[in-house]
Amino acid sequence: MSMKTKKLLIKIVAHVVLLIGAFTMLVPFIWMLSSSFKSLGEVFVFPPTLFGEKIIWENYTKISSRFDYFAYFLNSVKVSAWVVVFQVFTSATAGFVFAKLNFKGRDKVFLLYLATMMIPFHVTVITNYLQMSKYGLVNTLWSLMLPASVSAFGTFLMRQFFITLPNELVDAAKIDGCNPFTIFIRIALPMAKSTIATLSIFCFMGVWNDYFTPLIYINDSRKYTLPLGLASMKGMYSTDWPVLMSASVIAVLPVLIAFLLAQDAFVKGVMMSGLKE
Amino acid sequence: MKRRMIAGSMTALMVVLALGMGVAVQADDVVELTFMGWEASPLETQAVEDGIAAFEAQYPNIKVNYTPGLAGSEYNAKLLSSAAAGSLPDVMFVSSESYREFAAKGVLMELTDLFDDNYSLDDFIESSQTIMSIDGHVYGVSACTVSPIVYYNRDVFDAAGIDYPSADPANCWTIDEFREVAKQLTTDDIYGVYGLESVADTLNAQILSNGGTRYTDDFMHSTMNSPEVKEVLETIKAVRTEDGSAPDASTLDAVGMSAKQMLQTGKVAMLVDGSWSLQELAASGMNIGMAPLPSYGEVLTTGQAHLHAIASTTEHPEEAWQFLQFLSGMDYQGALVKTGLWMPNRYSMYEDAAVEQWYDESVHGDSYRQMLDYFMNAKVDPSALQLATQARDILIEETDMFFKMDQDIDVTVENLDTRIDAAIQDAVAQ
Amino acid sequence: MKTKKKGRLRDDSRWAWAMLLPNIVGFIMFMVVPVVATFVLSFTKYDMLTPPKFVGVQNYIDMATDPIVWQVTGNTLLYTLLTVPVGMCISLLLAVMLDQKIAFRRFYRAAFFLPAITSMVVVAIVWQWIYNPDYGILNYFLSIFGIKGPKWLLDTRTSLVSLAIVGIWKSAGYNMLIFLSGLQGISTTYYEAAELDGAGKWAQFRYITVPMLKPTTFFIFVMSMIGSFQVFDQVMLMTKGGPGRSSSVLVHYLYQNAFQYFKLGYACAIAYLLFFIIMAITLFNMRMEKNMREIY
Repeated sequence: MSMKTKKLLIKIVAHVVLLIGAFTMLVPFIWMLSSSFKSLGEVFVFPPTLFGEKIIWENYTKISSRFDYFAYFLNSVKVSAWVVVFQVFTSATAGFVFAKLNFKGRDKVFLLYLATMMIPFHVTVITNYLQMSKYGLVNTLWSLMLPASVSAFGTFLMRQFFITLPNELVDAAKIDGCNPFTIFIRIALPMAKSTIATLSIFCFMGVWNDYFTPLIYINDSRKYTLPLGLASMKGMYSTDWPVLMSASVIAVLPVLIAFLLAQDAFVKGVMMSGLKE
Repeated sequence: MKRRMIAGSMTALMVVLALGMGVAVQADDVVELTFMGWEASPLETQAVEDGIAAFEAQYPNIKVNYTPGLAGSEYNAKLLSSAAAGSLPDVMFVSSESYREFAAKGVLMELTDLFDDNYSLDDFIESSQTIMSIDGHVYGVSACTVSPIVYYNRDVFDAAGIDYPSADPANCWTIDEFREVAKQLTTDDIYGVYGLESVADTLNAQILSNGGTRYTDDFMHSTMNSPEVKEVLETIKAVRTEDGSAPDASTLDAVGMSAKQMLQTGKVAMLVDGSWSLQELAASGMNIGMAPLPSYGEVLTTGQAHLHAIASTTEHPEEAWQFLQFLSGMDYQGALVKTGLWMPNRYSMYEDAAVEQWYDESVHGDSYRQMLDYFMNAKVDPSALQLATQARDILIEETDMFFKMDQDIDVTVENLDTRIDAAIQDAVAQ
Repeated sequence: MKTKKKGRLRDDSRWAWAMLLPNIVGFIMFMVVPVVATFVLSFTKYDMLTPPKFVGVQNYIDMATDPIVWQVTGNTLLYTLLTVPVGMCISLLLAVMLDQKIAFRRFYRAAFFLPAITSMVVVAIVWQWIYNPDYGILNYFLSIFGIKGPKWLLDTRTSLVSLAIVGIWKSAGYNMLIFLSGLQGISTTYYEAAELDGAGKWAQFRYITVPMLKPTTFFIFVMSMIGSFQVFDQVMLMTKGGPGRSSSVLVHYLYQNAFQYFKLGYACAIAYLLFFIIMAITLFNMRMEKNMREIY
C-alpha cells in the first residue's frame, strides 16, 4: 500500500468516526427541533418521523401562556451578568495578590483556597442555605448572586496566569511609585484579557445552566431562572411535549448563538483550563 | 496613600455587604398577603387567579400575591425551607400528607377558635373532618375532597362491544370481574387498564377495600405485612404479568405520556386515577365515563385533599383568615367543583338543592349522580393521617422493587414496615 | 515600611490584604464558615425549625447501618466507573481523529461541544424522550437491527447506565477539547523522528502520544472523577432516583434528607461522607501520579 493510499485510508476512517460522533451528539437536538413543530399525537407516533403532517408554529406561541420565558430570561441575564462581573473581578484581584505581592501568610492562605477546591459544592450548600435564610435572602436573586461572586477556582486560574508575568514588571512599576492596585489595574489586568475571557465563559456557562442552586433557593415562580422555569413546566399531572420541546429550543438558543459567535474564544477557554503552567 | 487604601477596601467591602441588604420594605395602607399553591394544571392556576381577583374586589384593602410553587414533593420541600427561612407565605396550600408533620413543628397557625366561630366541623364530610382535626385542634381548612375512581374511554368499550361499567356503587365490579373485562379489552394496541400500580394515589383504597390497613390505630406503626395487603399487591402485579392487560408499571407516566393522554388517545381503555383528573379529561372533549373502583370486598374509595392554612409567622392573621374563608366559600370552592377538579367536602353541598348548584352534565356526565354518596362517604386516606411525610417515598421505592424488579412480596412488606416505622420514630422524636 | 532583601522591594501586606478583602470576605462567608458549620451540624439532629440537638456521632453510626447510604454510595461508584473510563476513551479517540488536517474541523468541534453548553434541564427533557421504551428514538434504532431495547430509565438494571450514557454524551466534547489542547502541545518533531524510524501509527500513539499526554489525562481524570461523584441534576430531572433506589446517588440522598425529610444533621453527615470519598480518591490519584507539584 502506498503512502498516499494509506493516508487517504486514515482520513476516511477518521471521517467515519467523527461523523458517527457528530451524529450522536446532534440527534437529540434534531429531534428536539422536529418535535417542537409536531402535534401532540404525532409525537407519539411509532416509528418516529422527522416531520409531522404540517409545521405547527402554535407550539411556540403557546409557550408564553405556560412559561413566562421573558421573566425567566431576564432573571437569568441578571444573575449571570452579576456573577460574571464580580467573580472575575474578585478572582483577578486575589489572583494577582497571590501571584505578585509579598506578604506574610500568603502561601498559607492560598493553600487554604486550593484545599477548598476539593470540597464538593454540596458540603456547603446546606449551611449556606441556612445562612442565606438568616439574612432573609432566600427566594431572592441575591441568594444566587452573592455566594457565586467569589470562586476559589477562579482565583486559582487567575493566579496561574499572573504568576507567568515577570516579577521585574511589577518591581519596576513599584520603583516608579505605583501602588500595587494601580499596577494591577494598569499593567496586569490588560495583559490578562484572554484568561479573563476564559473565566468569564466558564462562569457564564455554569451560572446560566445552573439548576441545583435555584432549585433550592427560589420559591417564587416569578424569580425562576430559565433552567428552573423549564423544569417546572414538566408539570405534575400532564405535559404538553411539543410545547415543552419548543420551550427547550428557545432556552438553548441564546447559548447556542453565543457559542457560534465566539466559538474560538470558547474553545480556547476550555483548552486553557486543562493547561497547567 | 494609607487613607486611599483604607477607603478603597472599605468601598469594596461595602459593595459586597450592601448588596446583602437589598430587600426593599414596602409601606402601604393596603395589606399584602402572600399566598402559595402549586401548579396542578393551567386550568387550576387560572381558577385560582380568578378567585383572587374576585376576593380582591370584595376586600379592596387586601391584595393577594399569588406564588405558584413547584409541584409534588418539591412543594413540601419548599414549604419546609421557607419555614426555616422565616419566609413562609401568609396563606398556603398544605398537602394532607404533610399537614400533621407541619402542624407538629409549629409551622401552622392554630385556627380552632376562628374555625369554630364560623364553621361547624360536623358539616364537613367524615374524611375531611378527620384530616383537619388533630386531637381536637384545627390548623387548616380542608379545601375539598378528591378520591381515586375509574375512568373509561367509551369509544374503546363500544368498539370492543363490551358493556360500560355501572356507576352505581351497589353494582360495582369485583376485582375479578374487573380483571376479566380488562383482559377482554386488551389488544395489540390497547391496554385494558392503567393506574393500579401508581400506588401513591390509588393503593390505599384497594388495601382498605380488602380489609387491610396501612397503620396501627395510633399511626405509630406501619401494618403492611398482612395477608390482605399482600393479596392486593399481588393482584395488582398479576393484572400486568399474568393477564397482560396493563402496561409496565408507570411506564409512560414516568417517561412522558401522562395517564390521561393514554386514555384520551385510546391506548388504554380504563384508567384508575384521582377524581381531579376529571377537569382535564372533560375539557379534552373525549367520550368519557366514570365508575367506582373495583371492589376487593367492601365497595369504597378513599378521600383526602390539601388544606388551606395560615403560617404561624403571619403579620396579618385577620386578613389571612378572611382570605381563607373566601377560599372555603362557594365562590371559590364551588367554581372548582363545577369544573370537575374538586368534589365538595361538606354534607350540605351533597343535598339535592345544593348539588344542582354545582353539578354540570357536560363535566360530570350522568355517572357522578350515582356516585355522590360514594365520594361523600369516602374513607379517610390513611396517608393523610400519617406522621412521617417520608412514608410516601418509601412506599413508592419498595413497591417499585416489587412490581418492576420482582423483589419478593414478603421482603417488600417487611421492608415497608421497618423503614416506615423508622421514619415515624424519627419524625416523632424531633 | 520594611524593606525586604531579595528581589522584592518591600512588604506589601497592607495593600495585599486590602485588595484581598472582598474575595476573602466572600470566601470566609460562603466557603469556610459553611464547611465548618456543616461539620458541626453533622453531629446534631436538626430540622431547621426547632433548635439543633447534639447527638454525638449518632448520624455517622446511622449512616453505617443505613442500607440506603450503602446503596447510593454503590450507585455513585458505579456511575463513576461507567462514565469516567468510557468517557475518557471516547474523548481521546475523537481528539486524536480531530488532531490532523481534516475537512469540516470546525463543524465537528462545534457538534461535539454543543451538549457541553446545553443546560442539563434541556438535555434531560430530550433524553427522557429518547429513552421512552415505546415511542423513543433509541429503541427505534435498535429495532432496525432487530434488537428489542430495554426499558432504559424504567428498569432498575438499566436506569443508572442510562444516566451514565447521558453523562458521557454531555461531557465528551468538553474533555475532547482538553485532550486536543494536550495533543497540540506535543511537538511534531517526535512524530517525524518516529516516522523516520519506521514506527507505525499505532506505535506512535502508544509510545509518544500516550506518555506525552499524561498530565492532560491526569487532569481530566481527576476532574471527571470529582464531577461524577457529585452527579445530581440528571438524577433529579430524569429518574428522581428510581425505579426503587436504583439510580439514586449520594447527592440526591443528601438533597432528599436536607430539603425533603427535615433531616439536616444527617444530610450534613452525608455531605462529609462525600467529601471524604472525593478527598481519598484525589489524594490517592495524586500519590499515584506523583503529580502533587503539578497541581500546586
